[in-house]
Amino acid sequence: MIYYLQLGLNGIIAGSTYAMFAVGLTMVYGVFRFINFAHGELIAYGAYLTLLWSQPPFSLPLYLAILPALAITAAIGLAQDRWIFHPLRNSKPITLLIGSIGLSYFLRNGIRIIWGSDLMSYGLESTRGMRFAGLTVTTVQVLMVASAVFFLGLLYVILTRTLLGKSLRAVSDNPELAGVMGINMKKVRLTVWTLASVFAGFGGILLALDTNLEPTMGLTNLIKAFAAVLLGGAGNVWGALFGGLFIGIAENISVAFFSPGYKDFISFSVIILVLLFRPKGIFGILEGVR
Amino acid sequence: MGYLMHIIIIALIYAIFAVSLNIELGFTGLYNFGHVAFFGIGAYTSALLSLAGMPVFLSMACGMAAAAAAGFLLAIPALRLSGDYFGIATLVFAEMVRLFFLNERWLTRGPMGIPGIPRPDCIGAGIASLPKFLLFSGLVAAAVFLIVRRLTTSPFGRVLKVVREDEFVAQALGKNVFSLKVKTVILGSLLAGLAGAMWAHYVTYISPADFTLTETILVLLCVVLGGRGTNWGPVLGAFLVIFSSESVRFLPIPSDLGRFVAPLQGMIYGAVLILIMLKRPGGIIPEHAG
Repeated sequence: MIYYLQLGLNGIIAGSTYAMFAVGLTMVYGVFRFINFAHGELIAYGAYLTLLWSQPPFSLPLYLAILPALAITAAIGLAQDRWIFHPLRNSKPITLLIGSIGLSYFLRNGIRIIWGSDLMSYGLESTRGMRFAGLTVTTVQVLMVASAVFFLGLLYVILTRTLLGKSLRAVSDNPELAGVMGINMKKVRLTVWTLASVFAGFGGILLALDTNLEPTMGLTNLIKAFAAVLLGGAGNVWGALFGGLFIGIAENISVAFFSPGYKDFISFSVIILVLLFRPKGIFGILEGVR
Repeated sequence: MGYLMHIIIIALIYAIFAVSLNIELGFTGLYNFGHVAFFGIGAYTSALLSLAGMPVFLSMACGMAAAAAAGFLLAIPALRLSGDYFGIATLVFAEMVRLFFLNERWLTRGPMGIPGIPRPDCIGAGIASLPKFLLFSGLVAAAVFLIVRRLTTSPFGRVLKVVREDEFVAQALGKNVFSLKVKTVILGSLLAGLAGAMWAHYVTYISPADFTLTETILVLLCVVLGGRGTNWGPVLGAFLVIFSSESVRFLPIPSDLGRFVAPLQGMIYGAVLILIMLKRPGGIIPEHAG
């Protein structure tokens, strides 16, 4: 029993980072109506840039290295909008998709050039887990969940309590009407890309704290984010949050039943099943698109 | 001379692969981002059967049949999805297939791959067989090209383009859109399986690392660069992409910079994909000239 509880706990920890990836992806979908295949690379760049700033010649302590890393990640997010997605906004969907796939491949190989293809880590001393009612958690994992809760809470405040957040939701609901009402589209665009990049980048940092860094981490986690987004209903931020948690928990509990080599099959099967039976998502509170 | 023949054979195999993707992506407008799965299924089926003692041509036919069957199985559920979602489903399917190759060691020997795949008896083995294999792949590629051109210039091909441009128009004309799409996917998978089987018997060694997102990007680049929705486009694209990527071997690159070559190539592929989408979405041979 304790074993399953421990797996469930691991799932919540993993799921809270997946939720960080998924909210950005779903926000971009909600506002721009396309699936950004390059979203995963923002995850990887957040993690790798933190590594960059925490190593010589900068040698910042990790908590300070996060700041420039997230700033650059956000700059990458804004740059891809400025030079790729915004100019392509009126072309056919397939053009955007191919563009974003090309971009993700470009960025991923950029990581290989700068940092190489080997596994890397932040080189933290592995802390002894705290034991609590028979369950083990490390300080890093507590930190992961706490910061995910903090960031997602912040997102909640931004989306529901500020004018910017309201206009963002309005655009997501009906872009033309929002434009007619005089909502500043440029501001919304910048906000969405900044939020999506910062959330993805920070989630990537958290994940790298607990595991390690590798150039394919973007793609692996993009697929989990897809699963979470679809589960929650595309464009639905809160759905994506719960979707992420669900994927994390399902994946970790599956380890008890299947070979760990097939752990990723969980998110794959979730994607396929959701697409087949509930295309609007399990938590399809808002009307899903298509 | 031997090397030139080698490049041409690879280019011909990729031309078949690109033509098969073009049927789906270019003509019918199905965003298949997991086409490499069918290439892999064809390669593995044919390799395993021929190693079990089946004549090579028969096992290649079985590889095609297996790929077509897999295409059919994927198409029935996945084609209920539209646009972007079909893209996600196929991308995920390709990752599932790759994980299957990697984990089912009893069948595929996992990451070790399958060495010693025989070439057809009448072609022989080793370097001496290159001219014959060149002739063989040239004939197969020409046959595929002619058959596909016959299909796409027939009324069937024109209906496919109607489906791509507007499904509702096709429906209003009394066409069964779903069945047309399923046929397209089966045909595309069948030919991708053929390309995969030829690849396996030519290279004589396959492993799961040969069937990753990289190959998907490469074949996507062939189709998009040459011109999607045209008959010559993918062939031209395949020759351009394969020749330019192979010619890198002749550049005088210092060995300590060797590790940068592959990722740099990857970055260039990605950048070219983005640039084509931005500047010339029709590719080199656009479908609608002028």
